[in-house]
Amino acid sequence: MASKPPPGHFNILYFATAGSYTAKNVEALPAPLPLKKLFGTLEERYQGIRASVLDHSLVTINLTYVDVTDDEASEDGDQIVIKEGDEVAIIPPVSSG
Amino acid sequence: MAGETKDNSLPKNGLLSARSSDGKFSRRLTDDEFDRYSRQMIVPGMGREGQLRLIESRLLIIGAGGLGCPAAQYIAGAGVGTIGIVDGDIVEASNLHRQVGHATSRLGMKKVDSLITHLKALNPLPTYIPYDFQLTPQNAADIISQYDLVLDCTDHPITRYLISDICVLTQKPLVSAAAVQKSGQLTVLNCPPAPQGLVDGEYPPCYRCCFRKPPPPSSMVSCGEAGIMGPVVGMMGMAQAGEAIKILASGLHLPPPTSDDNTAPPLERNLARPTLLIYTYDLDSAVGPYSFRALKMGGRKKNCFACGEGSTLTLDGIKTGNPDYVQFCSAPTINVRLPPEQRITAVAYHAAKEKGELPAHILVDTREKEHFSFGSLEGAVNMPFGRFLMNAAAVKRTGGSARDLLPTGAADGDAPIFVVCRTGQDSQETVEKLRELGLDNGGQRKIVDIMGGLRAWKQDVDPTFPFI
Repeated sequence: MASKPPPGHFNILYFATAGSYTAKNVEALPAPLPLKKLFGTLEERYQGIRASVLDHSLVTINLTYVDVTDDEASEDGDQIVIKEGDEVAIIPPVSSG
Repeated sequence: MAGETKDNSLPKNGLLSARSSDGKFSRRLTDDEFDRYSRQMIVPGMGREGQLRLIESRLLIIGAGGLGCPAAQYIAGAGVGTIGIVDGDIVEASNLHRQVGHATSRLGMKKVDSLITHLKALNPLPTYIPYDFQLTPQNAADIISQYDLVLDCTDHPITRYLISDICVLTQKPLVSAAAVQKSGQLTVLNCPPAPQGLVDGEYPPCYRCCFRKPPPPSSMVSCGEAGIMGPVVGMMGMAQAGEAIKILASGLHLPPPTSDDNTAPPLERNLARPTLLIYTYDLDSAVGPYSFRALKMGGRKKNCFACGEGSTLTLDGIKTGNPDYVQFCSAPTINVRLPPEQRITAVAYHAAKEKGELPAHILVDTREKEHFSFGSLEGAVNMPFGRFLMNAAAVKRTGGSARDLLPTGAADGDAPIFVVCRTGQDSQETVEKLRELGLDNGGQRKIVDIMGGLRAWKQDVDPTFPFI
């Protein structure tokens, strides 16, 4: 397991191409953060990551899938807030085999 | 296990029969089958009935590579009765570190024939059906519709979306896995299958429910380009076999039994929110910080293009090119095409250098450092493309010095910069980025792409160059 995030933060895990893009496997970001602001926050830190990685990736919070749609008014996106101590994962599809 | 003796207290006949899906008792186990499958039949939850379900099942493996080989071995060993295998490729030496169903003596053979040779030696009882060509939108439905369950062991998004769409329309469960470099993914989709368009309740997702759109081709890497560790893809293939055997032996893909049928195994039937298994393998540490993760997925998406409400996807449409899978998977990408004056062929670069016509210059090789370590052109400095792009983005964002992007000593002066990569795309993007960042000193400094990269170099200049 990745180590616990510091107080006031959540851990975000970067799998596959998300890891190559950010050059890390995990980092701690400030919490709380509304889910719908997640991609914007990451884009600020890693310019271009939205189009190259995030738009086609799955997102989980505490090992459970969450729906991040482009639609600002979507039921889920409006309500979900990433809390202190949560573990978020960015999971791009892998195609090879 | 010590003492592999036959347990003669078990009946050899009589009770060795099972109920098939239509409720009728079907065939008995032969002595050969009984001997061969005894060690898995005595596992609780499996039994004779599970074994007979496997024997009566038809399973399709699409892709006879790194996933398909290990999956097929266990599927065949377990005694699935009919096993179809689709692959149009031939066996190459670079396959063998992970594609364990092939052999050095079968290099150059069709992969399906090679794998079936191996499987027949392992277990001659199943019927093996070879399809020694690629799956296409035209042939996919005819093949897939003849099977009970499909394993996606392919290596490209085009086939992944195609297979998933056909499985939705023909109502087949799909066990999907993938792996590249040091990580793998596995999930069970469409199981038990529900008619397209049903959304009032919990139904299992399809591939499109999970991954709505493919990654841009520029960020997509194949095992051939990015590499793959054998055990990573092997583990995923075996896990696929495990899931497939469980589903078929337990009848998890069949509609739930009616209330008066008490013979159904007491197993978890709800695959409507399946697990996505992720395996990450860290080469830098003995025990990775996290190796396996099981993620709870969502169910069928209401607005899914393939299985959701009001979907217009049809088998006829797919056959006639709608949707266009190739186009869907090659959507917008920055495809740089440099003007001729910023390019030079590998042959011309070599000739000019041999004749001493090239001025003192800097040669930048943008391949990853692992590729670079196998061999490079004389005087080349390594500047891995991925890291360069990130650093370039950071410079744009923070306004740092673009000169720091270049390898030490390369930033000063107006000596021309030549850029070479593996196949000639990354080098063009690099040339363009360097100019954008003003590193051409307002046009005084030439920045030139070596066309076709080191692949062209090997082909046209030096056949002994160690190109991977």
